[in-house]
Amino acid sequence: MDFDPPTPVERVVTRNRWILGLVVLLLILAALYYLIFVNQYVVAYRDDEDHFKYGSIGSEPANGLPILVFKALPVMFPDGSELTGYRRFGLLYESEQADLPIGVSRRVVDGIERVWLNCAICHVGTYRINLSDQPAYIYGAPSNNLRLYSLLKFFLEVADAPNFNADNLIEAIDSPQVGGKLNFVDRSIYRYLVFPRVQQALVQRSQQLSFIHRQEDWGPGRVDTFNPYKAIQFNFPMDEHHITATELNGSADFPAIWQQRPRQGMHLHWDGNNTSVDERNLSAALGAGVTPVTVDMAAIKRVRAWIWDRPAPAFPVASAIDQNKVERGRQLYAEYCAGCHGMKDVSGHYDYDTNHFPRLGQVEDLDRIGTDPDRWASYTQNFSAAQNTLYAGYPWRFTHFRKTAGYANQPLDGIWARSPYLHNGSVPTLRDLLEPAAACGTVARAGSPARPQKWYRGSDIFDPDKVGYQSDGYGYDLKDLFLYDTCILGNSNRGHEGKIYGTELPSADKDAIVEYMKTL
Amino acid sequence: MRGAVDGTFLHEDNAALIFAPLQFRHLEVKNRLFRSNLSGMFDEYNGYGGHTRLNWEEKFARGGVGCIISSYTPVAVRGRILIRYAMVDADDKIPFWREVGKRVHEYGCRFIMQLSHSGRQQDMGGVENLFKKAQSSTNQTDFFHGILAQAMTVAEIHEVIEQFAQGARRARVAGLDGVELHGANGYLITQFLSSGINDRTDDYGGPVENRARFVLEIVRAIRREVGADFHLQMKINGVDHNNWLYPWKKKGNTLEDTLTICKMLLDDGKGVDSFHISSGSTFPHPRNPPGDISPNALTRWYGGMLASGVRTRFNYAIFKSPIGGPLFRWLWRSRRGKVIEGINAAYSKYLRDEIVKIDPSIKFLCTGGFQHAADIAGVIRNGCCDGVSIGRPLIANNDLPQILRTANGPIRQKECTYCNKCLVNDLANPLGCYEVSRYDGDTFEEKWEALIKSVMSVYQPPLFR
Repeated sequence: MDFDPPTPVERVVTRNRWILGLVVLLLILAALYYLIFVNQYVVAYRDDEDHFKYGSIGSEPANGLPILVFKALPVMFPDGSELTGYRRFGLLYESEQADLPIGVSRRVVDGIERVWLNCAICHVGTYRINLSDQPAYIYGAPSNNLRLYSLLKFFLEVADAPNFNADNLIEAIDSPQVGGKLNFVDRSIYRYLVFPRVQQALVQRSQQLSFIHRQEDWGPGRVDTFNPYKAIQFNFPMDEHHITATELNGSADFPAIWQQRPRQGMHLHWDGNNTSVDERNLSAALGAGVTPVTVDMAAIKRVRAWIWDRPAPAFPVASAIDQNKVERGRQLYAEYCAGCHGMKDVSGHYDYDTNHFPRLGQVEDLDRIGTDPDRWASYTQNFSAAQNTLYAGYPWRFTHFRKTAGYANQPLDGIWARSPYLHNGSVPTLRDLLEPAAACGTVARAGSPARPQKWYRGSDIFDPDKVGYQSDGYGYDLKDLFLYDTCILGNSNRGHEGKIYGTELPSADKDAIVEYMKTL
Repeated sequence: MRGAVDGTFLHEDNAALIFAPLQFRHLEVKNRLFRSNLSGMFDEYNGYGGHTRLNWEEKFARGGVGCIISSYTPVAVRGRILIRYAMVDADDKIPFWREVGKRVHEYGCRFIMQLSHSGRQQDMGGVENLFKKAQSSTNQTDFFHGILAQAMTVAEIHEVIEQFAQGARRARVAGLDGVELHGANGYLITQFLSSGINDRTDDYGGPVENRARFVLEIVRAIRREVGADFHLQMKINGVDHNNWLYPWKKKGNTLEDTLTICKMLLDDGKGVDSFHISSGSTFPHPRNPPGDISPNALTRWYGGMLASGVRTRFNYAIFKSPIGGPLFRWLWRSRRGKVIEGINAAYSKYLRDEIVKIDPSIKFLCTGGFQHAADIAGVIRNGCCDGVSIGRPLIANNDLPQILRTANGPIRQKECTYCNKCLVNDLANPLGCYEVSRYDGDTFEEKWEALIKSVMSVYQPPLFR
């Protein structure tokens, strides 16, 4: 018998306290759940340019790696070079001490800070005029240094590497290069939670993208936009029975992304498969790793606003423009080029008006333009149909994707910073582009210049005369560059040639056109 | 200072009306001033009356009221609201009440016993009730203090009816002049009457006729015990205003509901002799006793109730909070309305007009802050009631009737301020007027000393001299 039982009031008060305690506990747990597992945290940048460089667009939740793992992987799998971090893949660190490269953003997901890619990974170029110069950054220009193929392959190979295990990962995280300083709890978390999930994700992605081992190396400054897209977003079968070698090797140069307002309504992407800048942006974001569910629309809209009217960069060596030739070049450009590409008006502003330039932003049929068809072939009817199901249920659902008949004409604003040229970056300089392509395996005859057949990509040393990055290996150990062979699949430098393209003009006229194009 | 003249009527006219005898069916009262039921924890813990209670009641008889309505008098220990209240739950209480009647009658003053049962409004049930839930019409917890309740079975209802009947019998045996059923202010009878509280689905709940069944059976049981010629009156809310604290609560009985109940209690002339009109389905309630509330006093004295209910700790936190206290005070004042003196007069008039059409012998009393001759005479003259009951102004001025003979009311400094500090202090201290500003003295200390002297005067003369 209980000789000191609670009174009815005490019973209810005690019960109420339990209920209240339980409710408070549940609220705390719910709040913690929300704060840790639902809410995500990003670094907010005051400056739009910083946001472009490091702001998260939502690629981390589905594809990101924990920051310590991201930093540990190059330590675990060195390539023997002196380049630390991801420098070996051409990623740009703004300083020696920089924690992360440009184009890699942070987001805290499920309580762990993850990192992955944003727009800037593919759209920041660098140039040097002299060998001893520090690289100058061109925000919005094609990432001429980025070896995306090697980077992707690195992650896929990590997944299958026999020494990729929790012990080695933790050791690398604790190494001085990463400085993780994991305590006992952290180590347990990394050993039993983080590592298995990372490994599983990498293995899955490795299986999904196994076809890239059958691809030619994209090389620096290039990307196969649509084949990984087919596999990741739609699980398209990518084996030999389902995809031709032509379709499989459709790599192309990264594009420049300035002055997007006047491009609205033009045919965008190299093959002009979409006329909506917003859809093109969102589609490109998928390429960086966002998904329709994880996309951070506000962050992407901020980048959109930044590139909307961003001016094209001015030619960096004004003294290298031969003003005596510019006027002649302008006349020739107007005659041969402007109808498709537009040009500057008398006030010095680039004129994007399609009433003035009827072919600007329009698609040229493949048989007319004659450039390498593989990029065009990699974008299929089936794929465009599948793309138009993306973001279903959202106001920004894709509706504009179409298979076209060729490649689109683009405005040439800031064209000096968009080397190499043609969609697949097969021609190193503007001056080379005004020469005809030689048949593969033939040698150009003396006095009959032709576009180079094998040349080196990956240099950021700018040639202000021919306009384009050096392609002869100047200033580099050749093994650090990429030998671009125009005779392999997807790499052809033919097309955009013949009388109407100016390749039959006298050499002096070609020089004059190039001088004028420096001013665009 | 109020003038001696109230518009058309001279004070002498007002006084003549106030001091005219009031003839009930079976009881004559010498004037129209009734002391309302004021309790005070003056008695033995187990409900035996105490010497101090005699002093307390005698104060008012000496002061000149025509009739005293007793303190809240429980008919059973289960129905007490506070400890140390004299009860009438057994015959051994009769001698005490006989002595009370004797002391009061010496002044020509009548004494009506208020038969009461707290139901779930049991502020401090005492150790006898510590392990029991309060009896009520409902299982719903009291919404103010969170006092736990359990719905009475029909057998329990019949038992309590009989307790009321026996209480009335004891009052008559003790030589008292009548009994009043406390059917107002949230106690057990209200808990059955009020549509805001009674959620029963049996014969004692539902439509107003069913809700009134409990009190009607009490009236009939009392008549069975005391006969037809013993004064029996019913204290009842004009309107419940049950949603004063939480606006989402049901409003409770309307004036029409109350009229229906009053008609039923006439019971074809065999029922009650008069009605005593109040309002508010809880006690306290912003309308009863109408006035102010002191968060300071609540913070000091509410603590004794902490063990009584499941919301008392919450209330206490509100009262002592620098934000909650003033907010509660604001709510308290705003839910009352502007009128204090005569706050229930309109309800009383409506009911009286209708009831006297049926039975002109039925009289009405009205409570609510009365302390001025003009107001008292006014409500009688206007047909609101036949007499008024007075509580706090009589605590402030025990001799208020004598003042009203010659003046419209006390001088301003001596008026009851309706501060309700007496109400809150009653939870812990002797019942008396705790409004310092009313007392004489040049400093706070002098005034406080005078206050203490006044409050403690109830113990004079002591039992042993």
